[in-house]
Amino acid sequence: MSASQSAVRSRAEAIKVSRTFDWMICFVLFFIILGGYHIHYMLTGGDWDFWTDWKDRRLWVTVAPIVSITFPAAVQSVLWWRYRLPFGAVLCVLGLLFGEWINRYFNFWGWTYFPINFCFPSQLLPGAIVLDVILLLSNSMVLTAVVGGLAYGLLFYPGNWPVIAPLHVPVEYNGMVMTLADLQGYHYVRTGTPEYIRMVEKGTLRTFGKDVAPVSAFFSGFVSILIYFLWHFFGKWFGSTAFVKST
Amino acid sequence: MAATTESVKADAAEAPLLNVKNMILGSLVYLVFYAWVRWYEGVYGWSAGLDSFAPEFETYWMNFLYIEMILEVVTASILWGYIWRTRDRKVMSITPREELRRHFHHWVWLVMYAWAIYFGASYFTEQDGTWHQTIVRDTDFTPSHIIEFYLSYPIYIITGGASFLYAKTRLPTYQDGNSLQYMVAVVGPFMILPNVGLNEWGHTFWFMEELFVAPLHYGFVFFGWAALGALGVLNIECQAIGKLLKKDLA
Repeated sequence: MSASQSAVRSRAEAIKVSRTFDWMICFVLFFIILGGYHIHYMLTGGDWDFWTDWKDRRLWVTVAPIVSITFPAAVQSVLWWRYRLPFGAVLCVLGLLFGEWINRYFNFWGWTYFPINFCFPSQLLPGAIVLDVILLLSNSMVLTAVVGGLAYGLLFYPGNWPVIAPLHVPVEYNGMVMTLADLQGYHYVRTGTPEYIRMVEKGTLRTFGKDVAPVSAFFSGFVSILIYFLWHFFGKWFGSTAFVKST
Repeated sequence: MAATTESVKADAAEAPLLNVKNMILGSLVYLVFYAWVRWYEGVYGWSAGLDSFAPEFETYWMNFLYIEMILEVVTASILWGYIWRTRDRKVMSITPREELRRHFHHWVWLVMYAWAIYFGASYFTEQDGTWHQTIVRDTDFTPSHIIEFYLSYPIYIITGGASFLYAKTRLPTYQDGNSLQYMVAVVGPFMILPNVGLNEWGHTFWFMEELFVAPLHYGFVFFGWAALGALGVLNIECQAIGKLLKKDLA
């Protein structure tokens, strides 16, 4: 190709071309990242995310942030560090929520008839916003990992509290005390219903009472910090422009 | 004056940089086809998909499987063969404008790949979770698997392969070897299909559909990460397009 020739006919056309690419890139990134993030999340934390009777005060709070901070960290490492776009985490989480809501409505409800108030997805947006804002303000990967990662873990339970609180109200049923979410699970029997399969409220949770959710969130925040570091470097590798040459 | 008229005529005859009609039509093909597939699941999943020993299962689901497999092999052969056979053998001597047009065309392919990945990795994979929570399997070929593993995954493999081949055969940017991350973004999700072998082999030992997060499923997770290779493709494309537009945008 000749270096003297131009690909466009005017500056106005160049701007139009550039904007058109921006939109196409947004669309492609949104849906491809959605696909990868969703398959990762549903197979590492999915059961806690699918059903309200799995959304407990211990393992849901622990697992969901740890497995969901992965893609936001990786995407931030390209969108911020290469393009100064401060919305990597929010882009990922909005994609994931889009995929989940479509699925819960059209498939969980539309195909297998579980009511939406039994199978709505977890809310991850508050943590993602904080992660992006800390990166934007600090321009520091370390600070985002340490402060953002911890906040991501800590904010998960409060972020979900408004929607899950009514389902954690205790009820008595056939002489047993359980939550309303448990009761939903008993009424909508699934292959994952048996108590030896359901991973909720393990350990000495009942005797620790109200303290367990904050402790789980704190532990989750701690691991989220480590996972953020790891996935930041994964993201750098995935953003590589290297070419493999045949020998 | 005459020269100006000629140049205006040439502009009018020239193919547009971005063929929007192709992009919309292509997107509609995926959307309408998958809407039909979802309708088929809704009707025949419950009425003919619960018992793999029933004759209606053979009629509505196994025949669906055989037909889709044949169509996938034929489609991949024709599409990939066509892109390869019509490759540009003088790709390094195209004009900058033609290169820009091809980048747009490449991005149309990537838009199709995005649709295909969404439906395969997100829509039909999580759908499989709710089906297994509802129906205890008695075959590897449950209705959700016939759609998820053997339809939606091959479709994104075919689309991703076509996108990669288009870039490799038409764009100067990709002539200097093979882009590592483009290969990751295409081959990684492709590997999810062979990983079905591990999955089904494992399920013949254990009933694990009660638990979607069972470690047996982590192969899908690992290969799902490869979708992030799209970030590398994005970086390569931004560099290439930036180079084409730089002096006009300055």
